[in-house]
Amino acid sequence: MVNAARPSRADYYKALADTLPQHALVVTSLGNASYLWASMHHQPENFYFEDAMGLALPLALGLAIAQPRRPVIVVEGDGAVLMHMGALVTVGAVAPGNLTVLLIQNGVHAASGGQALTNANLDLAALALSAGIPRAKNVTTPDAFAAAMRESDGAGARFLVLSTKPDTEVVRPPIAFDPVLTKQRFMSAIGAPRYVPTMFGGGRLEHD
Amino acid sequence: MVASGKQSADPHRPSEILETLKRLGFGVAIAVPDSWLGEILVRIEHEPTMRLVRATHEEEALAIACGTRLGGVRTAMFVQNAGLLSMGAGMVSLAQRYQFPLLMLVSYRGTIEDPVFYHTPKGRVTEPVLRGLGVAHARADRARPIGPQVERAATYAEEACCPFALLLSQEDVQW
Repeated sequence: MVNAARPSRADYYKALADTLPQHALVVTSLGNASYLWASMHHQPENFYFEDAMGLALPLALGLAIAQPRRPVIVVEGDGAVLMHMGALVTVGAVAPGNLTVLLIQNGVHAASGGQALTNANLDLAALALSAGIPRAKNVTTPDAFAAAMRESDGAGARFLVLSTKPDTEVVRPPIAFDPVLTKQRFMSAIGAPRYVPTMFGGGRLEHD
Repeated sequence: MVASGKQSADPHRPSEILETLKRLGFGVAIAVPDSWLGEILVRIEHEPTMRLVRATHEEEALAIACGTRLGGVRTAMFVQNAGLLSMGAGMVSLAQRYQFPLLMLVSYRGTIEDPVFYHTPKGRVTEPVLRGLGVAHARADRARPIGPQVERAATYAEEACCPFALLLSQEDVQW
């Protein structure tokens, strides 16, 4: 829920950096979700979105399916989730225990300059619970967030709604956001198999 | 367009599609329902080497597929052509921008061969929209075995690092 006195995205990101599980993979939504995280904690195991609003959560779900032994953390915005609310139902149905959804609830479309949301005051944790995600709760402080991150894994995805003040000033990222480079750097870091072609088709994905 | 009056040589084309996916090492299928796709999705669900994810919307399915491929699993999508029309933004700003190789197996509704004529508006615009989006695609040839066509589509996706849509008729994909 959106509260009057809210921590900043940076406050939560500091707590995230301090509590990041070993071997975690982090997917960040467009705008400052990616730019600020790249500024504070750039790693090859980060997958940064630029644009494609609302699709960070379903991409992270796919990644969690493909990498079941690694914790996958996705930072998504409230406006982005409203664009693709069906993804909550899919996350609830798949129930990946290695997926943590961090939902920045700042009540605005921050990436587009702070424009109003259709509804800024939804109980998004209740929405997630209704969608079949059992470990959903609203969080209002970085300390509570850090405590929630230290809780052991359970059944299904963890879904933390972080009450956050809007940050509409765009952070300048310290690295180039080349999308193909982002993808290749990430896949190399996790040791993903690469496609080995053959002259006449029938190539396979193979580990080096 | 592929014009053909010949009957297909292989006995059961949906089985050929599934066997080809298994042989090529596809580990995940992401799907949104269409009546032609119903049974093949159930068959995939029972395959020990494949996992089926049922998404709520085709653009969401596309993003899930990008995620599984990012995680190193060869991924196919099963959608109706209505889904190609509704996934445009994710197609250009995610799948194509990041160059994800994805095989999209599409029930091609609304052609002259489709007995359900309310699909006609989608059939009429599907290929022009794919060309407009720059999505590589082909219409499966019913006169030739379907397995090699699926394999070539999958190879194209990997070699060109992009999604590839193979447009399938009812007899290709309905079990």
